Amino acid sequence: MGPQHPMTHGLWTLKIKVDGETVVDTEPDLGYIHRGVEKICEARDFTQITTYCDRLCYASANTWSHSYIYAAEDLLGVEVPERAEYIRLIAVELQRIASHLMWLGAYGPDIGNLSIMVWCLREREMMMDLLQELGGSRMHYNFPRIGGVKRDLPHGFSQRAQAKLKLFLNRIQEYEALFDESTVFLVRSQGVGYAKPEEMINHGVSGPNVRAAGVDYDVRWAHPYSVYSELDWQPSVERSSIKGADCYDRYRVRVEEMRMSASMVLQALDKIPGGSETYHEPGDPKIIAKAPSRAPEGTYGSHHFEDSRGESMFYLAGGGEGRGKMPYRVSIRSPMFITIPYAAKCMIGYKVADIPAIMGSFDPCIGETDR
Amino acid sequence: MAGTSDWLDIRGWMESIVGWSMDQVHDLLPSSEIGLGPLGSVNLQGEFASIQGALETFLFTTIMCTIVFTTMMLTLMVVPYIERKFIARLMDRLGATTSLRSLWVGEGHTTAGQWWNQLPFGIGAPIGWVNGMLNSSFGNKSKHVAVDRVHNRGYHGIWFLFPGFFQALADFLKFATKEHMVPTKADRLVFETAPVIIIATTIMVYAFIPFGPHIWAANPELSLVFMMAVFGVAPLGVFFAGWSSNNKYTLIGGMRSAAQLTAYEIPLLISVLAIAVISGSFNILEIVDFQIETSNTWNLFIMPLGAALFLITMIAEVERIPFDMPEAEAELVEGWWTEYGGIRWGLMFAVEMMRAYAACILFALFFLGGWQLPFEDTLVGLPYVGILFDLLANATPGLVVLLLKAYLMFAFFVWVRASLHRVRTDQILEFGWRWLLPASMVNLAVAIFLRLEVWDSTAAGGWPIWAVPVLFGSFILAFIVLAIDEDEDALELNRRMYHTQTLEKASPGTHRD
Amino acid sequence: MGKKISAAAQQKAAEELAKAISSIDGVSAELDSRSSGTQVRHTVSATSTPDSWRVLAETLAADHGVDYCSMITGIHWPEAADKTWEVVYHLMRTGVTDPAAIEGVVQPNITDSDALTGADVPMEIQISISLPDTREPMVASVQDIWVGADWNEKETWDLVGIDFEGHEGMRRVLNPHETPVGYHPLQKQHKLRYHGFEEMYDDAQGFMRKPADAGKIK
Repeated sequence: MGPQHPMTHGLWTLKIKVDGETVVDTEPDLGYIHRGVEKICEARDFTQITTYCDRLCYASANTWSHSYIYAAEDLLGVEVPERAEYIRLIAVELQRIASHLMWLGAYGPDIGNLSIMVWCLREREMMMDLLQELGGSRMHYNFPRIGGVKRDLPHGFSQRAQAKLKLFLNRIQEYEALFDESTVFLVRSQGVGYAKPEEMINHGVSGPNVRAAGVDYDVRWAHPYSVYSELDWQPSVERSSIKGADCYDRYRVRVEEMRMSASMVLQALDKIPGGSETYHEPGDPKIIAKAPSRAPEGTYGSHHFEDSRGESMFYLAGGGEGRGKMPYRVSIRSPMFITIPYAAKCMIGYKVADIPAIMGSFDPCIGETDR
Repeated sequence: MAGTSDWLDIRGWMESIVGWSMDQVHDLLPSSEIGLGPLGSVNLQGEFASIQGALETFLFTTIMCTIVFTTMMLTLMVVPYIERKFIARLMDRLGATTSLRSLWVGEGHTTAGQWWNQLPFGIGAPIGWVNGMLNSSFGNKSKHVAVDRVHNRGYHGIWFLFPGFFQALADFLKFATKEHMVPTKADRLVFETAPVIIIATTIMVYAFIPFGPHIWAANPELSLVFMMAVFGVAPLGVFFAGWSSNNKYTLIGGMRSAAQLTAYEIPLLISVLAIAVISGSFNILEIVDFQIETSNTWNLFIMPLGAALFLITMIAEVERIPFDMPEAEAELVEGWWTEYGGIRWGLMFAVEMMRAYAACILFALFFLGGWQLPFEDTLVGLPYVGILFDLLANATPGLVVLLLKAYLMFAFFVWVRASLHRVRTDQILEFGWRWLLPASMVNLAVAIFLRLEVWDSTAAGGWPIWAVPVLFGSFILAFIVLAIDEDEDALELNRRMYHTQTLEKASPGTHRD
Repeated sequence: MGKKISAAAQQKAAEELAKAISSIDGVSAELDSRSSGTQVRHTVSATSTPDSWRVLAETLAADHGVDYCSMITGIHWPEAADKTWEVVYHLMRTGVTDPAAIEGVVQPNITDSDALTGADVPMEIQISISLPDTREPMVASVQDIWVGADWNEKETWDLVGIDFEGHEGMRRVLNPHETPVGYHPLQKQHKLRYHGFEEMYDDAQGFMRKPADAGKIK
């Protein structure tokens, strides 16, 4: 199936061996949009790399650029002002909501429900508007800077965000009504694509896919970063069956995560130091700290980050071109690169018709897979 | 089978026109003998008189077929229009039920005008009340300007009904001009034959469907049987199409389609048989007349289970969501018709619309009383306003009433399509064989019992007074009972309706447990 | 307030882990506290010789509950003769166990982050293995210990050229399948077209230039 196929959520091939309608063996074939980002970044300044990282997973651009920025700050040894951390958290969590909405909007048509696509994209428009106010564009924001953020919260952002998020929290109930109360959906997604947590961890799967199996593991609390500990939140963990997490569990985890992210943003808007109404000019030390621009050879920086799809990580080795202005090596860990082969294994034994259901429930994004 | 009638007597008019014109021809021909030399002599008028009957029948039938076909095609245009507009409204509104509000509220609270206030005598006030209630229950509670962009979209101006009406025609013409490609390794003979089978048999179905009491092409005594037989040939064509395209996806789609359509033919035919049993005839016109004249009750109320079964099996027969696995875009792109292009695809798509349209019309004929206005007899019998209703009933041709019912049923199909997910093939088959087939047998048994024991052919209304409330009421009761979620505790504990450990799979599979 | 692992517990667990694995021959590990915005992460950073890597990996998996292989980075240092090839393993201990079931109903494993101690504390571990200059760099594969290392090792070989001994099914994953043997793009002898990127901006036709056109204005 693929590379051109409406189901695959991106450009990759899934070779399946079938016996009638039952899947007997699978083999994923990736690399169609391998753009060589790791190599390109060896010839770019630290500030220039941020734009590439947005384009890794285009559906969840903010989480990737922040993932890189934390690693770059680790490499360069920069301390970030607290207000900037709050702004970053708002951007990341809004992006998480937008990414999950895109996932849900694509997952419905995979299973056959066409209405949810329009509904989710409609709400995603609200999130895109907010992110556009923050970052300047609708998809690739280039928002964080080493040491802080590009710009402070715009005037009136707080009211707009609160209005939109409150509306969004109401609308989530509609999605749940359409999915959870539909016997057809339950029949399609329960009992399909079992995945046990320890097996998943050994395979390298993380994030919502693991939390769907009843396990509370989230990089945001286990390897803490940013100001998540200041907010009142819980990772969304789903009660799965003893056989493991099925598609229904993975769906529920993401819906709950959307709610949790929305409430995190609302809390952050309340708690941001300096208040959400004050505006600092770009370059103000309250929102960005001065950062060195060179990293000598021998240093390295790495950071694990909770991306919408799992645990992402950047490893930067210092001492590259321009006497250290550019990194010597940029190594990107993509959760989906590891999850897609695992998801392909999960499909064995089920029907061809379950392939979109299972694949979609793992939320693949090929941009980050192929880098 | 005189039965019901209305003023739109197309058959009668055509018959008289044809008869009159043949008579004119007859009179124009010379009546004297004309010598043909060695071949003898011939009396043209006499010869013509001997074939006149057959000629009239032939011409009349051809004309009626053309008229019926044209009527069908023209009225078919409304069907994709309903689908498009209604799905758009369903997808871009609030709440899990249709919100009428979305029909007339635009961005920034602009409206197409509160037209209900313009109606005379203030009869539009209830509409305004409904609108206000829907607004307050399901509407945007935030007046914040920021969320304007996601307000329900609406129409602009009074032409809200007409934009996009001829889109279907434009699409069809576009397909007519596209290239016809046959895959290299496809089985050319079968590839070309399959669309012919599908399209021809579907159009043939319309020969037997009456569009009004006097608008039908053919009416043999067993029209129901013949029509269902022809209706069921299309799955064969579908399977041929899927197999001959030399494409593993179409093959999967074709096989799924063959299995699904076969599985659902049987409950369909048994439900239709139950209708025939209740009505006492295999003739569609007589079935309609039975509802209108003889029993004074629409079959929906006597046989609600049969109606539900007919509806479900028809949705499966026309391959609409939730049963559209054979052409599931997510896995199979277009399913069994992926490799077809141009007019063949265009006609097959039209055929899918036609089959859905036929299903809706048949439902209206079998269960909704055909071309009778609802409560017609009661309304006409009212003391003073009865005269008005009588005028209305007489002025409205049966065609219009039937079409309105059919379009309403189609809107229901569209509603189902927008709300439900696709059921997996083995689950579809399991549902068809294990649930619908026994249900349809039960339905048939009930129908036989009703006709034999309960039907009173001597009484005025046929069905005794308790029949409709008992049957329809028990159906509604069963529906309510089944629709209420069971076991709230387990629901809370598991937040799901099924225990996955006990969910039985249709086939064992070899996945790890 | 929000859930967070206790920094003190993480530091203590990191020190314990570093001490335990330093006892293996050829391995030296230490506590590495890295700052991350307003938080501090206590991680373990270790170096190992290629020969002791397999032993170290097995020890980590068996005795210390390291259950997650996050990424494998391969770096090519052509300047240094003794550590031309570097393989960095990023492993994590997540502390995830299959959730328990009571009467067939799964109870989610909600951890109390403050109460985690010792080997339950989630931990980041980074192990760096250096190889001297060789045409065929090879490191022992840990595909059988952590399945997550499988595709990471494929990618490292595909892009950097470091082979993994004992790895089954080594193939190209990101580059096309028909990539020439011996072509590993992330090695430093393969230059990016505009390694000095000023060239790209100053010379609009730079990308079409050939070496013979050096110094010419087109």
